Amino acid sequence: MIEIKHLSKEYHVVKKEEGFKGALKSLVTRESRVIAAVQDLNFHIKPGEIVGFIGPNGAGKSTTIKMMSGILTPTFGEILIAGKDITKHRKEVVQNIGVVFGQRSQLNWDLRLGESFELLRHIYQIDKKQYEETLDVLDEILGVRELIDKPVRQMSLGQRVKGDLVAAMLHSPKVLFLDEPTIGLDVGSKYALRKFVKEINEKRGTTVILTTHDLGDIEQLCDRIIIINHGKLVEDGNLDAIVDRIAPFKTLVVEYFDDQIIPSALGELIETNGNIAKYKFLKHETTAAKIIEELSAKAQIKDISIEEAGIDDIIRIAYTGDCRTQNTYGIHW
Amino acid sequence: MKQKNGNVYFYVYKTQILKSLAYKFDVYGNIIMQTIIMIATAFFWKALFRNATMVKGVTVDTMMTYTVISSMLSVVLTTGVERRITDSVQKGTIAIDMMRPVNLFKVFFAENLGTVTALFFQNLLPIFLIGSLFIKLPTPSGLPELLLFLLSLLLAFFINWYLSVIFGMWAFSIIQMDALIQVKKHLIRLLSGSMIPLWFFPEWLRSILECLPFAYIYQMPLTIYVGQYTKESLVRGLLVQTIWVVVLFTIFRFMEKRVTDKVMIQGG
Repeated sequence: MIEIKHLSKEYHVVKKEEGFKGALKSLVTRESRVIAAVQDLNFHIKPGEIVGFIGPNGAGKSTTIKMMSGILTPTFGEILIAGKDITKHRKEVVQNIGVVFGQRSQLNWDLRLGESFELLRHIYQIDKKQYEETLDVLDEILGVRELIDKPVRQMSLGQRVKGDLVAAMLHSPKVLFLDEPTIGLDVGSKYALRKFVKEINEKRGTTVILTTHDLGDIEQLCDRIIIINHGKLVEDGNLDAIVDRIAPFKTLVVEYFDDQIIPSALGELIETNGNIAKYKFLKHETTAAKIIEELSAKAQIKDISIEEAGIDDIIRIAYTGDCRTQNTYGIHW
Repeated sequence: MKQKNGNVYFYVYKTQILKSLAYKFDVYGNIIMQTIIMIATAFFWKALFRNATMVKGVTVDTMMTYTVISSMLSVVLTTGVERRITDSVQKGTIAIDMMRPVNLFKVFFAENLGTVTALFFQNLLPIFLIGSLFIKLPTPSGLPELLLFLLSLLLAFFINWYLSVIFGMWAFSIIQMDALIQVKKHLIRLLSGSMIPLWFFPEWLRSILECLPFAYIYQMPLTIYVGQYTKESLVRGLLVQTIWVVVLFTIFRFMEKRVTDKVMIQGG
C-alpha cells in the first residue's frame, strides 16, 4: 500500500533576528543551515496493516507523515501510495489518504461540525448518498451525529478529536495517518479512539499508520512498529519479535523471609531492597523455575513475581542508541 | 458519481461567508474605523479648499465623492491573504490546507471573495450610507464612467489580489512578517492614491507612481468614477492596468510551485 524508497528531507533553517529590523534584514540577507530531518528511510507497508511509527521528539516522525500525506515535498526519494507517486500525482493520491493531527484540527473553528463535514464532502467530492452512509457507519462506532450541530469551538478535546477522526474518514480513504492522535485525551476518549482504529481496520481494511508516545496505543493496536531516531530507521518489525531481540530477558523478583540475599549462578542479581531481590536472566538460556529451584535450595522464599521486558524498555533502548550495536545484556536499568 | 471540480471553490466561498458572519464585533469596529478615516479625510479636503473653488482642475465636490468612494473601495479591496498565509504558517495549520486535494491558492482566492462578499453587506453598505448622509451622495459623473469604473475596478481587484498573494508568499519562508504586512498596507495607502490623489503629487513623483502597480488599485478606478480623465489618459491607464494584471499573474504562477515546495511546518 505504501512504499518508501530512500526518503530524505532537508530543511534550510534560517537564522533569524528578532523584531522589525530582523524581519527587514532577513529580506536582504539570510544565513541558513541545512538540517536533515529524515535520512534515507526505506520501508514497505502492506494493505490492512496497523503500523506504529515511533521515535523520540524531533526524530522525524511528523516530517515523514507529512511527506507521506503530500504536505511536504521530499528532498530525495520516492513515496508510492497504492502504486502512485504522491509528489507527482498529489491531488489524485490524497483522495486515498486521511490524516488526523492530534495537535491541530482540520475542523472549522467558527462553524458547526456539520458545516465542516459538508465542506469536506465538497472538497473530496463525495456523493451525498455515500456521504450519509459513511457517516452512519462512523456514527455507529464513535457516536458523532449528536455533535453535528455543535460549533467546533465549544467542543471538548475528546469531542473535537472524534470530529477529526470522522472528518479524516469521510472520503473512505485506503490509508489513515494518525499523528499523535491520543495526545491529551482522557482514558475514555483514548479507548474510543483505539476502538475506532481497530474497527475501521477490520471492517473497511483501512491501512493505519500512527505516531504516538502512548505505549498503550502501540500495545493495543500495532502488530508492527517502525522506530526512527535522528531521522534514521532504527527498528522495523513485529512488536514481539523486536522485544525478543532487543530485550531477550526477564526479571525475577524474589521476596525472602529474612534479609539474607543469595546470588544466583543462572541470573544476574541487579537490585536488592530489604528482603527483596531482582534477578535478570536471558529467556532462551534459562527459566525462572530453574532459578527458583537454585535459590530455594539455599534460602526460604516467601513470594516471587516475574517482570517481562516491555515495550517501554524497547523504546528506551532504541531511543538512547542504536540497539543493534549494543550488548543488550550489559545495559544498566 | 463525480461532481464538477469548480463546485469545491464555490463551496469554500459560501463557507467563508458563513465564517465571516460569525464575527459581529469585528464588523462594528471596522465600520467605526472606516468612518473616522473617511470623515477626517473629508474635513481635510474641505479645509484645503476653503479659499479656492478649484485646485489643479479639481473641485471640492469631486474630492468628496472621491473620498466616499475610496472608503468603499477599501472594503472591496480588502485582502486578508497575507494574514491568512502568515497565520497558517505560524500555527502550522498550513499542513491542513495543503493535505487536501485542492489548489491552495484557489482556496485562498475563494475565501477572499467570500470575505469581500460578507463585507459588502457588513461594511460597504453602512459606509455608503454614512458617507452619503454626512459627506455627499457619491454620484458618478455619468453612466459610461460608471461602467468603465466597474471594469477598472475588476482589474484593480486582480492587481491587488496578486500583489497581496505574491507578498504573502514570503510568509512561507519568513514566518514572522507582521511588521512587513503593516509596511505594505501603508505604502499602498500612500502610493495608490487612496487618500491623496496623485494629481496633487509633484510631477516627477507622479510619473514614477504611474509606472508602478499601486496607482492602478485605487487611483485609476476612482479617477474614472469622478470623470477626471482625458480619452488618451483613459486608454493608456486601462492598458497599463491590464499589463500589470498579466505581469503579476505571471510572477504569481512562477512562484506558486516553488513556494509550496519550500514550506516548513511549524510545531511537530
